[in-house]
Parts: sequence; C-alpha cells; structure tokens
Amino acid sequence: MKMTTDFLDAHKRHWEDAELLFTAARWANADHLYGLAAECGLKRLMCAFGMKIDSASGSPARKKDRVHVDCIWEHYEAYRSGYHDGVSYSLSSLEFFSDWNIAQRYAPQGDFTREIAASHRDGAGKVYNLVKKAIWEGLIS
Amino acid sequence: MTTFDEILPVIREVLGTLTEALEKLEPVILNRDLNGRIRLILDEKLQDQPETRGAVETIVHALEKRLGPHTFPAERMVLFEPSLEMVKQGALHFPLQGFDAVTVVDRLATETDWARIEPVSSGASRIVFFSIKGGVGRSTASAVAAWSLAQSGKRVMVLDLDLESPGISTSLLPDERRPAYGITDWLVEDLVGNGAVVFEDMVTKSDLSHDGDIYVVPAHGRNPGEYVAKLGRVWMPGMDGEGLREPWAGRLARLLTALENRWQPDVILMDARAGIDEVASACITDLGAKGILLFSIDGEQAWSGYRILFQHWRRTGVACEIRERLQMVGAMIPEVNAKEYVDGLCERSWITFAEELYDAIPPGEPADAYFSFDQADETAPHFPWPIRWHRGFAALQSIHSRFQGMGKDEVKAVFGPLLRGIDAIIGFDGESHE
Repeated sequence: MKMTTDFLDAHKRHWEDAELLFTAARWANADHLYGLAAECGLKRLMCAFGMKIDSASGSPARKKDRVHVDCIWEHYEAYRSGYHDGVSYSLSSLEFFSDWNIAQRYAPQGDFTREIAASHRDGAGKVYNLVKKAIWEGLIS
Repeated sequence: MTTFDEILPVIREVLGTLTEALEKLEPVILNRDLNGRIRLILDEKLQDQPETRGAVETIVHALEKRLGPHTFPAERMVLFEPSLEMVKQGALHFPLQGFDAVTVVDRLATETDWARIEPVSSGASRIVFFSIKGGVGRSTASAVAAWSLAQSGKRVMVLDLDLESPGISTSLLPDERRPAYGITDWLVEDLVGNGAVVFEDMVTKSDLSHDGDIYVVPAHGRNPGEYVAKLGRVWMPGMDGEGLREPWAGRLARLLTALENRWQPDVILMDARAGIDEVASACITDLGAKGILLFSIDGEQAWSGYRILFQHWRRTGVACEIRERLQMVGAMIPEVNAKEYVDGLCERSWITFAEELYDAIPPGEPADAYFSFDQADETAPHFPWPIRWHRGFAALQSIHSRFQGMGKDEVKAVFGPLLRGIDAIIGFDGESHE
C-alpha cells in the first residue's frame, strides 16, 4: 500500500505515543519515538522555511536533507537562517540527539534508561513547542 | 464574504448570540494568525469533555459560516493548550471588546505593533519628531531644536532614524564631517556581534554650536556603501546573551542606551520616519520617549492617519499609557490667513483627540479628574504649537550653511512655540534661549 507523507501528523503521533510509553516506563521505544518526533517536526518546519519536497516520494527533494534527527541540525539551521524571522525558531542545541541513532531500534531494552529517554524527551519537547508556535502563527496548518 | 475588518465585529456578533455556550468554554483565546485566520484556543481540560463538546460545536460552526476564509474548517478550528498564558507570550493581545474572558492574540508579520509602550526613560529626555505625512518640515524643526538647545549650553544628541530617507545629519554636518558609520551600520554589525567595531565612529560633533554640543548620529556614514543591502537587514531580530530572541526595536533601544552612556547627552532628539512605519513605531513606543511631537498640516490625509493610530491605541488598551506624551505641532503655517488656518487646524486636532483619546466626562463629575481638555486650552496635547512657513528654512539642503549665519531672533520668530514647548518637556527654564 502506497502512503503519503505528512510530517506534521507524523510528528504529533510519534510525540503522543512517545509520551504514553514514557509514562509506562517503556524507555526504549519512548526514546526511539522521541527521535522520530523531533525529526518529523523539524522537517515540517524546514518545509515552512523553504525546503522543497519531491512530490512523488513525499521526501525532501535534496537527498542530503533526507537524514534522521542525529544528523539534521545543520540542515535545519540552513533553512531556518534563510527565513527572515528564523530567530524565533532557533534551538539552542541539538547535541542531546547526537547519541540517538535510528539503528538503536535493534538494541536490547536493557541498554535504555530513564535518563536517556528523558534527555531526548526534552529535545523533542522543544521541537514540539516550536511546531505549536508555527501553527499559532499560521506558518503551518 | 467577510473581509479582514469584519472579523472582530462578526465574532462579537456571533458570540453575543451564543453567550450560554461561550460561558462553558471561558477563558477563550481568539488566535488571529499571520494570514488573518482565526482559531479558538481553549484550555486542554475541556478537550473531549462531553458537557462542553456541544458548546464547542455550536460556536465553531457559527464562526465557520460567518468568517469563511478568515478561519479554519470547523473540525480544525480549535486547538487545546495546557497553558493559555503561554499562547499570549510575545504576541500582541487584548480583550475582545465587550467580552472580558475572550482575548484576541494578534500575530503580525512586522516586528513592531505600536501597542507595547515602554515607560519613559529615566535618563536624558528623549523626544521624537514624527509626522503621518512627509514633507512638513519635521527634520528641519528637529535640527533647529538641536541647534537652539545647544546654543543654550545643552549637550544634545540627534539621531537620524528616518533610515529609509535620511536627511537630518546633512543639515547639521557638512559632508566632510560625517562619521564613517551610522545607525544602519551598527544594526547590521550587531547581528554578528560586531557592533563595537563601528560604535565609536558613528557619532560626530557638529561645528554649529559654540556653547553646547550637538552629537549627530546619522543613518549612514560618509560612504553609504551597500545601503540598500544593509537596510534590508536592519529589521532582523537578534539573539540576546541568553539565547533569547531580541526584536530589532530592542536592539535599537540597546544602541540608544549605549550611546547615551557613552556621550552623556542632556537631551536626545530622534527624527522618526513619517507614516505608520516600523521605525516610527519603534521610536514612538519602544524607546521610552518623554515627548512625542506629532507634526501636521491641516489636511484630511493627516487627520485620517492620526485617527487610525489613536484608534489602534484605544482598541489595544494602551491609550492611557501614551496620550500624555503626545503633542501636536502645526507645521508650515501659511503666511496668508495664518490665524484662520491655525484655528481650523486646532479644531480638527481637537475633534480627533476628543473622539479617540480624551476621556468623556460623565455628567456631574469634576472635569479635572479626567484626561480631557477644551478646544481652546493652550496646554492641551491637541493644541498645535505653530511653526510658520519660512522661505529660508524650507530647503533642508541649505540649512547647514544657513545655521552659520542665523540669529536667535530669526529662529524664535519661526520656531518659538516649539522651542518653549521642548524646554517644558525636558524641564529646562529656557532663559538662555532669550
């Protein structure tokens, strides 16, 4: 089945599911979904700041922009700084995702702790708030 | 179909017929986004509550029907948030007229919104020269005021904030004395933390006054350089030391404070851009001005412009904070039939102030308890300080050479009421003007 891409919807569901898992102390999958939530939220904002999307695949048109959250920081910065009010959408740092990796979905549960998940929750929460601000401003809807 | 100006009246009308439903949802935020589309933002405690679902449905369908393209489809019109206070942060917000528990949060594409009024600066008195329309002698009057105050022994700083049409520094400085940089250069360098490099060389003392000092801060330096490219960046917000967003007007305020600390002026005169403009808004509302001089000729365009501004202050609930700082200045009073002209100017000024900014005095109440003035009250903000049109001052380009041979009597004859008024604002007895 061919599905379309909706970064905003994906951002919200990953965030909400991550929160449910975090509340249930399911650190491994909560952590995984916080990373995906941040990636989708940032990609939706990057679209609002001018990132082109390939209409056939729904992915970013530039292959270099097709990255996960641990590698997205400079790409986000490039689009944000090209937007006249990009300062309103700055993130102090995404270093807290530098230890997150998509391949960790194969890792054993015991490798994940509350602290690891909480640090990524903090980062994804900042992205969540920026997405909300963009909705309030009508930048995305 | 509903247009922008009908959004708030239509919402008031709709909510006025649905008060029972509205009361179940209060407090309510009406979020008007950058595109002028309305969304309701409600406390998340109301989300999925069977007892309020009906109220939400009733209101969103009524609004969808009336607002059309100025809102979202009913199923997407409502957002739920854990903190309504957070939604208001950083945005212009005011109560919807007639509905105390409904707040309009208005998001503008411009940085300034004319409605965040900074308190009067505690340092040197700051006076703004503003006009709704250009070409009324505003810059000339500010140059004359600077010269006159300096002749009285004052240290005066003059800022050319008419960045898109710079001029006043030309009248106070010959080209060869202009500093290397100007306000535009600092605002651009500040974006990359490099403001200190141009700071010391963006101010020059004018040679026009021998008793006091005139420090001129031009819009640009001797060589304007890539002025258009710089001007396109001055409006950029920056980041403060703690990584928080700093609006461009905040950066300008920081520059003004630094200039004041460095040069220690007694009074700061700011020549603002004409019209309802970004820079004008910053000068009038964001820089702690003590006096705001509103230059005007007697023309319908000017009164219409001032009325727009006054209504905005009233609608956003800040009229009381700013009205005491305002003063009308009658510009370019013609030589022929001057008295009739000034009377007409005064009458239309009074009507505009009385209808938009002055308090209405309830029957039986003492007038002095209210901000209200008779038309003939010479101390009132609406009562214009007249500046006669004068051939010798009409051409700004010739002002610098003109100042060098200018006598006090000549200046007093044309600008006397303005100069006495400025003395009163800054608390100066003005004796040495005589």
